[in-house]
Amino acid sequence: MNTPLMFLSFVSLMFLAGTAHGGELAVTITDIRAAEGSLRVAVVNTDAGWNNQEKPVAFKTVAAAQGEMTLTFAGLPDGKYAVQVMHDQNDNDKLDTNFVGIPSEGYGFSNNPNVMRRAHFDEAQFDLAGNTAISIRLR
Amino acid sequence: MQRRSFMQGLLLGALASGSRIEVLRAALPGETGPARFAAGLAQRPWLAGWKSVGVESLGPTRATVEGRWPGSLTGALYRNGPAWFERGDLRYQHWFDGDGMLQSWRFHGGEVTHAARMVATTKFVQEQKSGRFEFGAAGTTIEGARPVRNNDDANTANTAVVRIGDRVFALWEGGSAYEVDPVTLESRGPATWREDLVAAPFSAHPLLERDGSAWNFGSLDFFGAHGVLIWRIGADGRLLRTSVLKADGPGYLHSFAMTDQYLVFTFMPYRMAESGAYFERLRFAPDLACRVALVPKDALDVPRWFEAPFAAIYHFADAYEHRGEVVVRAARHADIEEARSPMAAAMRGELGPPVSNTELVSLRLDLARGKARWEAHGVRGFEFPTFDARTPGDQPALLFAPTSVRPVTAPYFNAISSIDTRRERVQAHRYGADVMAEEHRFVPRPGSSKPGDGWLVGTLLDFARGRSGVTVLDARRVGDGPVATAWVPYTVPLGFHGWFTETPPGTT
Repeated sequence: MNTPLMFLSFVSLMFLAGTAHGGELAVTITDIRAAEGSLRVAVVNTDAGWNNQEKPVAFKTVAAAQGEMTLTFAGLPDGKYAVQVMHDQNDNDKLDTNFVGIPSEGYGFSNNPNVMRRAHFDEAQFDLAGNTAISIRLR
Repeated sequence: MQRRSFMQGLLLGALASGSRIEVLRAALPGETGPARFAAGLAQRPWLAGWKSVGVESLGPTRATVEGRWPGSLTGALYRNGPAWFERGDLRYQHWFDGDGMLQSWRFHGGEVTHAARMVATTKFVQEQKSGRFEFGAAGTTIEGARPVRNNDDANTANTAVVRIGDRVFALWEGGSAYEVDPVTLESRGPATWREDLVAAPFSAHPLLERDGSAWNFGSLDFFGAHGVLIWRIGADGRLLRTSVLKADGPGYLHSFAMTDQYLVFTFMPYRMAESGAYFERLRFAPDLACRVALVPKDALDVPRWFEAPFAAIYHFADAYEHRGEVVVRAARHADIEEARSPMAAAMRGELGPPVSNTELVSLRLDLARGKARWEAHGVRGFEFPTFDARTPGDQPALLFAPTSVRPVTAPYFNAISSIDTRRERVQAHRYGADVMAEEHRFVPRPGSSKPGDGWLVGTLLDFARGRSGVTVLDARRVGDGPVATAWVPYTVPLGFHGWFTETPPGTT
């Protein structure tokens, strides 16, 4: 059964950072509640990628620091992208949820859509043109 | 249950605030904010009951005792209630919104000591840092409220308190129980009974068996589903099991009742308006029937369903089985809008209608015919009923409840009553023109096993003298008034529910 958020199956994904050409995406992640576990950040450019049906165009895992962190993704061609972040606090490669699927670990989406469900691709989508910086607030 | 229903549903106010903000009371601080309340308080000193406490802790303070506190009445009365209502120019508009403050009144050797501490919820800690309300609230729209991870981001732990085993919990109804240190009242964080139960609703009204084990429920409506999660907690404070009771439509319930054999859940039908915080959107549906689930304690998966005419109820009291009926008693509200936001005018600093347009009713479930009906007892104007849990399971208990006795100065309770429906007798003691009365807990007299033989221990707010207090009465002679009362030289906002324990954990 899918969790309500249907997060990407991070553990099965390959690291697919782009080449040195193209723009750089800087993703500042705020409201990281604990310096525990890892942040798993996926950049996608299609609805299929958003819904875990194809690999993300870029993906990073970093040790989580409390508060704020900035990750950069180089070599992204101009275009439309969306980013989702999960704070895998116990490093079990999934977003933990309770019996009704409510997350117990942090997560966030580009554009910070104020919706109480998993954001849709079009709600999280933004334009990347050259070097671009975005901010994602974890909840 | 569909797991994805969470994201389609709403988790109390915080998640209900949504992205679209319509007319906001918060945007009109001059009309409804702290200044307006302060102006009201200057004219109406009884509004001290709804004044934002503004400090994280009070005491410990040795209280001044009037009369002689019974030497054999030792232990602690814990109390909980909304206490922090204002930040910046925003004042909550709904009483249920305030962040919870836990209090302890300790009784030892005839002396009384008071202490209080805000529950360090995720919400309160973060908002103390930022100095503003950031999370959605149960009954007030918060402009730009931050999205929440789960229910516990909105948890104010402001409604009740319970001791189970050696653990003491501050309770809300939409999320986790917050465990606190029984002595210092410092928060230990939300209780995680089991990994898959993180942030699962745990109501403010658990019921204890005589062996100290507990039952409780959590409403699944907060997730967009319908029904309750039934909790079973052992006398050692550890989870024994859970069970899901599904309902076939929306139903609100704040408390439940139990007999020796059954749990009784009464679901009040409602509809939700489109926008606003939870209690702004909630519309009770008096055109629909209440659904009542009679659940055998030894077969939680075999509920028996009844239908009863609509009733708006927060508090169920005792329940008993007699001559083929299960009978549940409750305080039924006549004004469903007042029930949706009690003391709303006081929250604005204004004089409103008297609290609790209620009547004592019995819900009678005819087991042979499968029919349910309400019986009214003609006792009106009370709330927060309590009783002696030692009462035999085949008869109604003597009920104790704050009420109002004329003349009345403030639109709140000023008296305590005992209600004996078998003898059709009500006793009351009026505390005075300037005193407001809260819930009174029944405390068995040491060495006695006779139901009803004990004390009532309740809390008071004397707004004329600017003091809060705790009082003790003989439960059999409520009309005689207090045996003793102890006062501290400050007021604490009025709260909701308390819990008495003879042997507070950590102090024996």
